[in-house]
Amino acid sequence: MTVDPNAATQGFPGPEPARHDPGAARYLVPALVAAAVAVVLGVYGKVHDPAGTAFNLAGFSSTGAVKSWLATAAMFFALVQLVSAAMLYGRLPGPAWSGTLHRWSGRAAFLVAVPVAVHCLYALGWQTYETRVMWHSLLGCFFFGAFSAKMLLLRSERLPGWLLPIVGGLVLAVLTVIWLTSALWFFRTFGVTT
Amino acid sequence: MKRPGPLLTLLAGLVLGLFLLTLNATTGTRTASSSYEESSPSPAPVASTASPAPTHTPSPSRVPAVDADYAGRTDDDAASVAVSVDDGKAIAYYCDGRTEESWLKGDVEDDGTLRLTGKDGAKLDGTLEDGERVEGSVTVGGGRHAFSADRATKPSGLWRATATVRSAKIDGGWIVLKDGTQVGIVTRDGKPSPAPRIDPETGAVTVDGQQLTARPATP
Repeated sequence: MTVDPNAATQGFPGPEPARHDPGAARYLVPALVAAAVAVVLGVYGKVHDPAGTAFNLAGFSSTGAVKSWLATAAMFFALVQLVSAAMLYGRLPGPAWSGTLHRWSGRAAFLVAVPVAVHCLYALGWQTYETRVMWHSLLGCFFFGAFSAKMLLLRSERLPGWLLPIVGGLVLAVLTVIWLTSALWFFRTFGVTT
Repeated sequence: MKRPGPLLTLLAGLVLGLFLLTLNATTGTRTASSSYEESSPSPAPVASTASPAPTHTPSPSRVPAVDADYAGRTDDDAASVAVSVDDGKAIAYYCDGRTEESWLKGDVEDDGTLRLTGKDGAKLDGTLEDGERVEGSVTVGGGRHAFSADRATKPSGLWRATATVRSAKIDGGWIVLKDGTQVGIVTRDGKPSPAPRIDPETGAVTVDGQQLTARPATP
């Protein structure tokens, strides 16, 4: 996409936002958006009356199995994320298209995780009746906040070099705990079924 | 210059999530309302209560579907009571989560009155209030407890599991309330004791090392 340098300011005729401290907004906006996303998801899960059920996919015995396999797919893409990120940062030898691989595996992981979260929030809601369930509820909401922050931070330039790896690693770690407390638990409890 | 990619990714996820949510909501109400039509063939009392307000658009959730689970606490907060109503019949379970429980059953009158009886003279008198809750009193073990049980949707409600574990006859009952709290009692050859928790999503529970699956209890 080409951008006309003369057109850049035309959309913003008003006074420029305070320029003396552009750093704060760069971090504040993603952080606030992340907090808002996490809180909204949690409040929805808590306030909404859990429906107990939702549509199922053909070929699977239960929504639990569908979600476990979708979550496992997300986990797989997340591991691709880790490897491709290491390639981007030169820690692993990687092909020229490792950036594309990182972008698209991340999109795939996110889009595969969304239906799982929708089912969780719609059918089950925010629950705390067990330690496993409590952490899953908490981190499930936290994950989508952290992911939003990661996406918004990518749009900023001149970030400290350590910031993206830290936030990305946080997103990966949280997703791992979410997977451990749901899909792995499901497979261990009910067997690896479809 | 800002990269649009990450924003597009977030937007795509948001759109996908909202799409699935509306899909869930619309399919959910369609199946729910059709099953209500099947199971409650007498919509006459509904029409008489809702008709005087012409501006009011009746939503499916306000239809007093009598066939449902109801779960709540006794007024003295000593025990939970759950009632499951289906096709003019009802079963109820009273459970304090420690030693005292009772299964009761009986018929539902046309006016919504419940008179259920159980073993050892246990009885439950109540009324279905607009299909939203059951109010009444339950008498178990000589004590009379007033209660109010609100309409419960899965996973809250009444659960039961029966099995034979190492030649002992196991009968477990659980009441899961809307806020996720649950009480349950497992009787082994007639001896009651507090039950381990069930997973309210699946009904899975481990009793004496044996994996059981509790099912929603129906009349």
